[in-house]
Amino acid sequence: MKIFKFIVSKIFLRKAILGIGVMLLLCMANYITFTAARSILSTFQGYQETKYVNQEGVYIANLDPDSHIDMNIIGENGTQAVYDYLNSNFKYAFYTDGFIVSVPNSDDMEISLGYMNEQYNRLNGFELSQGTDLYFDYQLEGEIPVLIGKGLSKTYPVGSTIKIEESVIGRPLTLQVQGVLKQNAYHSNYYALNSKTYYNFSILIPVNEEFINHASMDIQLNGLMDITLLDTSKEEIANLSEIIKDNLGLRFNFFSQKENYDYFNEYYLHSLKIIFITTFILLIVITCLSVWNALVSVRLMLKDFTINLLVGLSYSKLKRIFYGYFGMIAFINVALISIFTAFNRYGCWLRKDATFATYGLFGLIGMDWLALLSVVASDIIIGIIIVESMLWKIKKVPISLGVLQ
Amino acid sequence: MKRSLFRLTDMLELSIAYIICFSLNLLLDYAKTLDLDAYILKAFLKNFIDCQSLIVSLFTFIVIVFHYQMLERRKAEIFCRILVGGTVFNIAIRYMLDCITVLFFVYLLLALVNLHLGFNLASNFYLVLIFVAYILISARQVRKYENF
Repeated sequence: MKIFKFIVSKIFLRKAILGIGVMLLLCMANYITFTAARSILSTFQGYQETKYVNQEGVYIANLDPDSHIDMNIIGENGTQAVYDYLNSNFKYAFYTDGFIVSVPNSDDMEISLGYMNEQYNRLNGFELSQGTDLYFDYQLEGEIPVLIGKGLSKTYPVGSTIKIEESVIGRPLTLQVQGVLKQNAYHSNYYALNSKTYYNFSILIPVNEEFINHASMDIQLNGLMDITLLDTSKEEIANLSEIIKDNLGLRFNFFSQKENYDYFNEYYLHSLKIIFITTFILLIVITCLSVWNALVSVRLMLKDFTINLLVGLSYSKLKRIFYGYFGMIAFINVALISIFTAFNRYGCWLRKDATFATYGLFGLIGMDWLALLSVVASDIIIGIIIVESMLWKIKKVPISLGVLQ
Repeated sequence: MKRSLFRLTDMLELSIAYIICFSLNLLLDYAKTLDLDAYILKAFLKNFIDCQSLIVSLFTFIVIVFHYQMLERRKAEIFCRILVGGTVFNIAIRYMLDCITVLFFVYLLLALVNLHLGFNLASNFYLVLIFVAYILISARQVRKYENF
């Protein structure tokens, strides 16, 4: 430890610019690795989560990008007619969220309401940390069982009620907390798997046929945009498309299992490959620059190293000191990246951004820790390359010649 | 060149350092113009494009490292030149001129690439100012080696 302190303070820190150089290069390598790892992990999580759509007989609705929404044509009768047709001919998973309401809570966050039907709950439901699962055969006049996010559970424990004055069915609603979602419960966007919505400050309301029939046109139309049809066929889908076109004037596309697979494989796999290759190339460039920086350091500090070798320092001890020094720099960098990420996550709490507010150890969630792990792995590889090239350079110069420099 | 502190390898190293910084800026400018369909790629690149100036400025540190190590290695040479009649002022001026010449040629090369790709020529001009500042600061370092 004494010799380590001596070499760091008397040799490395005397030429601090070179140390800062390594630190900045490593910081950039870490940032690139962290960003890429998080993008890949997040997409992979999204892919795993939405795997259920890749089943035979499952079709996902998607508004054709060329179809213009004319609100003059769309009326409540039109949307109701579409839902009547859906109810009598299809099994469908309904989910829509993002309806903001003001519900008093200890963190003063705006609350997002999500609506899902029983099929959706079965297909892609949420895991609970407390309470019991939802039931869907309730009466609108009574208390509606709901699930809430972890952030609301302090104010509204299981069994308590929440009153909402303005609801999508045009009258006050009384919600009863049936269960609490697991910490950082999330859903990925169908069309951007790396983008997630967190439900720590959400209320999930179960919807049944009666609820949808009484609901406003907004929620009916929104629900239709991402509706998932189950156990159906191309012919039945074609009929539904016609019904939607006739009643709402909108053209919808319905993607089948094969189309979904193709989409995932082409779109996401291709994007992930580009991210991986770009990251790899950038890491190679940064590693080369770091090696150059390390060799420059050896060139300038050769005399100091060789004097120490002359007076008894062994190459293996010098190697351990180099690894220790590099480990110290890597640790500072990983800590910086962690602080930067935690600060970003904390920013969502400061902005009261309920859909991105997350809980976690030191403000970091599981995905961040995994990305940090890949940063540590890349640091170990870069560290080995740098330290070994430094030692190779030192060993190339005879001690007597080095001392004379 | 005969009286310059620079050797051919130094010129090459400095050129590469400048090229890396200018190219990084160019690459990020290019990334801005990409019309990507994939949200995942857009989100990935946004992380870098949003901090473009910071990332490129941090990368310019490799030029500082170059100037520092170059002058450290030429310590004895500077002292010897002064011993045989050279002046610190002339050595510093020659050093600055050499650096600026390399910078000028690299900037010209990258400006041509910018022009070819249809990017704004001013987009990497701030790097020239940063590098000139580094050259001026490092030229002051030459004075330090007057007394070896």
